[in-house]
Amino acid sequence: MVQRTSRRLALATIVLSVVLSFGGAALGASAPSDPFSKVSSELYAKAKQEGELVVYSVWDVEHIVAILGAFSKRYPGIKTNYWQGRNPEIVTRVVTEFQAGRASVDAILSDNAPPVIRAAGAIAPYETVQKDFLLLHDPTMPVVSLQIQALVYNTKKLKPADLPKGWEDVTNPKYKGNVALDDPMRAGPLSTQLAAFKDLWKDDARFARFVRGLKALGVPVHKSTSAMFRLLISGEYAVGEPALLHDVVEEKEKGSPIDLVKTAPPIVFPRYAGIYAKAAHPNAARLLAEWLISKEGQATLDSVGREASRKGFQSKTSIEHAYPKGTKAIAVNDKTFLEDPKKWLDTNVKPLWEG
Amino acid sequence: MIVLFRSFTTGRLGAVVAFNAQNYIRVFTDPEILPMINNSILYAAGSAALGTGLGAMLAWIVARTNTPGRALVELMPLYPILMPPIMKNIAWILLLAPKSGILNGFLRENFGIQQLVFNAFTLPAMIWVFGLACVPLGYLFLLPVFLSFDPSLEESAYISGSKPMGTMLRITFPLAFPAFLSAFVLNFLRGLRSFETPVLQGSPGGINVFVAKVYDSMSVEYNPGLATAYSAVLIVLSVLALLFYVRATRFSERYATITGKGYRVKIIDIGKWKYAAFLAVFTYFLVGIAIPFVVLIVVSLIPYYDYDTFMTFPANIVLSNYRRVIHHPSFVSGLYNSLILSVIIAVVTVLSGIIMAFTIYRTKVYGGKVFEFIGTMPLAFPPLVLSLGLVIAVIGTPLYNTLWALGLGLFIAYFPYALRNASGAIVNIHKELDEAAWVHGARWRHVFFQVTLPLLKPTVAGALFYIFIEAIRNIDVAVLLVAPGNEYGPVTLFEYFRVGQWAEAAAGGVIYLIILILSVSIAKFVFKIKFSL
Repeated sequence: MVQRTSRRLALATIVLSVVLSFGGAALGASAPSDPFSKVSSELYAKAKQEGELVVYSVWDVEHIVAILGAFSKRYPGIKTNYWQGRNPEIVTRVVTEFQAGRASVDAILSDNAPPVIRAAGAIAPYETVQKDFLLLHDPTMPVVSLQIQALVYNTKKLKPADLPKGWEDVTNPKYKGNVALDDPMRAGPLSTQLAAFKDLWKDDARFARFVRGLKALGVPVHKSTSAMFRLLISGEYAVGEPALLHDVVEEKEKGSPIDLVKTAPPIVFPRYAGIYAKAAHPNAARLLAEWLISKEGQATLDSVGREASRKGFQSKTSIEHAYPKGTKAIAVNDKTFLEDPKKWLDTNVKPLWEG
Repeated sequence: MIVLFRSFTTGRLGAVVAFNAQNYIRVFTDPEILPMINNSILYAAGSAALGTGLGAMLAWIVARTNTPGRALVELMPLYPILMPPIMKNIAWILLLAPKSGILNGFLRENFGIQQLVFNAFTLPAMIWVFGLACVPLGYLFLLPVFLSFDPSLEESAYISGSKPMGTMLRITFPLAFPAFLSAFVLNFLRGLRSFETPVLQGSPGGINVFVAKVYDSMSVEYNPGLATAYSAVLIVLSVLALLFYVRATRFSERYATITGKGYRVKIIDIGKWKYAAFLAVFTYFLVGIAIPFVVLIVVSLIPYYDYDTFMTFPANIVLSNYRRVIHHPSFVSGLYNSLILSVIIAVVTVLSGIIMAFTIYRTKVYGGKVFEFIGTMPLAFPPLVLSLGLVIAVIGTPLYNTLWALGLGLFIAYFPYALRNASGAIVNIHKELDEAAWVHGARWRHVFFQVTLPLLKPTVAGALFYIFIEAIRNIDVAVLLVAPGNEYGPVTLFEYFRVGQWAEAAAGGVIYLIILILSVSIAKFVFKIKFSL
């Protein structure tokens, strides 16, 4: 049963349609009329009968509470509950509940976990009616926010003239000993970035040169990106490979000596609202996903510092705001990496990194 | 059993494909595991030796010597227990980081020493930080033993011409050997499965420990079967450690110091050494809590950490980190729930541990030692693997997604501490006290409640204190068992550690420590809890 569902979902998601149109395209003229109002009233009527919504999320508790609070205010009569865990904990819990036939959760808000859960057959495919408004679109799971990776540097340690020009320039030996590097073998941000480059470049020699160049820096690798980011701010390192845009924006607001290398294009990864295959309240889950993509939902996400997934949505964490006009983001859409990072890393990175 | 069963299943994401030994073949043909096991053993044994040794020394000073400032000396070794290991990790990284650390910065700025003297990302630094986190357990295990010592043994040594220090080394410490070994084994097992110090300090220095394999299996490969097979190596190491303990204490009567002959604690005059002893306790207080705590207080009050900003304090104070923590949505509810549950768990677990230790060492139940192994086994499992096993065990029952399941999980996670603590202490009580009761017609419950339990009073107080403190900050074992909508644990305070916001984490940590110090002090006053007889 599980395998059958898995195959069906795999077929349904063979093509991850990626629609990228960064660069400040205005929403108005070319965008179709907003289908949200129609679908939301239909879903709300059903969701109100269900009366409840349970969300599992990797996001900060403060953020989840603020988002669910705004949702409940907008849609009275739907009681919301949440559980927060890290991605491996979310995958473990959802898959275990799925195999036991439990209807414990309705929606999963996360980045890395939903594709893996989908591969286990525990996600019910749902395509948002607002797909034309999205920067990244997946036909089986609504992309409600984005994880945006950036190349960053400590402004006290590096002068603008000495900055790397792009991602590949980080491998320049002059940065030896000064780069904070995420562990490329742990399915963290750096491996996500490598999956994006491999797909973008379609040039094995270039990819190998980049990975071996990082290795040749001889710098420590970190298994905790957040600890690595703190050490970058503290001055232990001069360059961070990579950091998350919303962290950089938040730290800059505090006055931390940190900034973006704006010539290195950002790497974008979807943050999904996956609908659980055995959800007891599927309409409430779909309503949450649609509302999060709507202008109101995106504004709520922005209010807690989360990146918007909607085209043309202006916020302090949007690419248009943080990078020069015309910057093209690089998307992560390698299906093997998304659903089985270990397999992808063993095939593409391990021979270069450990060889 | 459930967890071990999973190790023989292949497939990904729990979709069982076959029942075979494929996971074990992968584990034992992995070329990386030998150096990793080597690092793990060095790290765990080094930390356990440092922590337990220091804990024993402090317990002896507090319990048996005429060190000045007794009221202060009694309390100083206890306060560091309240500080979670991850808070110490962060504080020591800020102190010892090669380029940005406070100590290297201070030497550079004030003495012109450009050489990087300290490095947080080395094995000795890892042992130092985790070893300090092991001291409280050693202290709490050894303190009751030193407090309940039969003085006639030491008096015999004095009569034979032995000096105080010689008596301590030749008589006192050897007699405390079972409790020492019990604490050492526990600290060693904690070290084997600990993940925060290796992640934060080990991986940047290229020091990879074995438990990282377990976590990679779960977080990169999402393969609980493989994670469990890797955990089996930890189980083997745990069994070996326990076998070592059982063999070393097999003639338990030799270590009995509480007998029917006499019962009064003798304070030893250690002469001028008493000032050195005070200095030792005070130094531990400084490095164990005062210095890391001060670092965290400063970090919680400045906009961000780097050496210059740190040294500019207090001219740059901000309160935003505290405001954020206090306004966190689960601040009150999470703390309230975990306070209540932790008190219940501590009481139930400690009593159960004593009953099992009593059964093993004081009754003739067949296979008592097997119970000891089984009771200690949960400590061999990394928290996420143990948590998964518990979820699978209860998911088909009405207990799932209730507080009962969470309580059961915490009970299983902390039972080894209660059992090892009680075992070490019961071995020190001579059987003649029980036998006297048996001879007078007492039943087992009379022996247990009227003879053994009163003699274990300081042990009970220490174990209750320790398990309460550990349970209240538990996130890893509890995480899969917490029902949606039920806040548990000081989520507010530890979420910031999990997401790496060190300034907010430091603010949360300061608030958490103040709350804990207040609640422990109130409990000590209201319930008249003493760590002595």
